Amino acid sequence: MDSPAANAAFAKQISITFPLLSDMNRKMLRSYGILKGYDVQNETYEWALRANIIIDKQGVIQFVEEGDSAVDPNTALTMCTTLHKKDATK
Amino acid sequence: MKHMIVLGLLVATALVAAPVAPQGEKSQVAKMTLKVGDTAPEFTLLSDGWKTVKLSDYRGKKNVFLAVYVLAFTGG
Repeated sequence: MDSPAANAAFAKQISITFPLLSDMNRKMLRSYGILKGYDVQNETYEWALRANIIIDKQGVIQFVEEGDSAVDPNTALTMCTTLHKKDATK
Repeated sequence: MKHMIVLGLLVATALVAAPVAPQGEKSQVAKMTLKVGDTAPEFTLLSDGWKTVKLSDYRGKKNVFLAVYVLAFTGG
């Protein structure tokens, strides 16, 4: 939910070359079920889960990892390689 | 990774309440609703270059790795 400007500065700082996206209105997080409500003293606060999601060229979800297990991207990266190999054999 | 686009989604600011909430408060169980085999919902988001990025931009072209990265400390 950070702004594009904050993401641009962060990308520059750590030399990220892929797009960093901002979900300023939280629409995507909600539609993916990643944004969760948490009630504290009659107020609802919203927070997001950490997640890795792989979507194939047809727009179908091929891999989902959330919470603590999503901190380490290695399983998701292995899935990327598998998907890539599958594409190459087609 | 030639045919894979990686999209990072930074959500650093919204989340302080969860880890420190007092015991006894009601919370939802955090669980994603999507699963493998589902069609990924379309989204339109702004990139760090202020360009509009749609999931459908990659349909038929590239696989997408979407990393939702919470508390990245971007400075916000």
